[in-house]
Amino acid sequence: MNGTPRLLNRMLIAVLGIIVLAVGALLILLASVPAVGAWWQGWSVGAWSNVSDLFESMRFPGGQASGPWIVLALLLVVIGSMVAWVAQQGKGRANFLVAEEDQGEVPGTVRIGGGVAEQALRAALAGRADLAGATVATYEVRGKPALKIRVEPRQGVAPHALAADVSALVEALDAVIGKRTLVLIHIGSGTRSRFGRAERVL
Amino acid sequence: MERIIKRETRSSRAVPAVIAAVLVIALCGFALLETALRAFGQPPWLVDPEAAMTLIVGLPGGVRPVLLGVLGAVLVMAGLYFFLNAVLPGRRARHLLWDRRAAVVVDDEVIASALARRARLAANVGPEQVMVVVSRNRVLVNVRPTSGVPLRSDAMLAAVNDELRAMGPSPMPEARINVTPEGVIGA
Repeated sequence: MNGTPRLLNRMLIAVLGIIVLAVGALLILLASVPAVGAWWQGWSVGAWSNVSDLFESMRFPGGQASGPWIVLALLLVVIGSMVAWVAQQGKGRANFLVAEEDQGEVPGTVRIGGGVAEQALRAALAGRADLAGATVATYEVRGKPALKIRVEPRQGVAPHALAADVSALVEALDAVIGKRTLVLIHIGSGTRSRFGRAERVL
Repeated sequence: MERIIKRETRSSRAVPAVIAAVLVIALCGFALLETALRAFGQPPWLVDPEAAMTLIVGLPGGVRPVLLGVLGAVLVMAGLYFFLNAVLPGRRARHLLWDRRAAVVVDDEVIASALARRARLAANVGPEQVMVVVSRNRVLVNVRPTSGVPLRSDAMLAAVNDELRAMGPSPMPEARINVTPEGVIGA
């Protein structure tokens, strides 16, 4: 539901996996097959001498070698893009549940913060004996606000009955806010529901 | 809505992504340090870049073959972990429930504990005698009966099926009861 770039994750992990796999396979072959060692030495000596020749030819106008500086710049670019990639994970929280032009006579816009829904639902769910915990968060999905309600029932609670109760609460919230937002109810289990006591009422 | 449901039932691969990024950052940071030391004409910290390259070019000489092979095996395992994470579908252990207002996603563990409770009430056994495993298309109810007390497994199956029908998870799993040959004494 959040804005994690899933396709990018898959592609980058696949590329990295293939590279690491290939290097590992090459090392195993080098260690075990002598013919591969001979081939590798012949190939890599040529490649390395080409690269070092290129390094030697690259010089600043003053005559100083510029090779290490170019490598430094490339490494910094790679590190920066990796940090940017990590920063993309789990993004997508929103602040407003409604942000619209008001159709009335007074000019202006109406904004309802996500905290309204979050606190109302959390307060409504707080007193229930069959829940070990509940969290509500507002996200932005394709530019539209959406609510994610995560409830952690105690052991043995029927999920469909719980879902019906929560969705009744959501409908009451719709009536208060006057607008239907996308809602996801996630009935999950965590440490609190796993190790907490079961509900005793039969 | 379909987009949300699709994203909630599949893994985002955020954890392998962060692991991969941290590994690449660490490797590049080390290379950055050594290159910078060389660019400023300082002695290297651990390895001189040029010496490292000559060692790599000279492989398999200079390193013990066992060490090289083990290193390669570790790299192959790590590469497989990343590659399989990227290629496999990455379905999460969750089912969907129908609701007229919201999209409902339920962890399989929650379904299992609800079914276990219903099954143990139907069979009149203790909570530690029933274990339910829910997978995408199958529900397996493992029961250890109380020694000396006959177990009505058809009533149990009917109760589990009834609960499943009321729940209506999608995809709908098929329930099976597995009664272990050993019983529990004094339960």
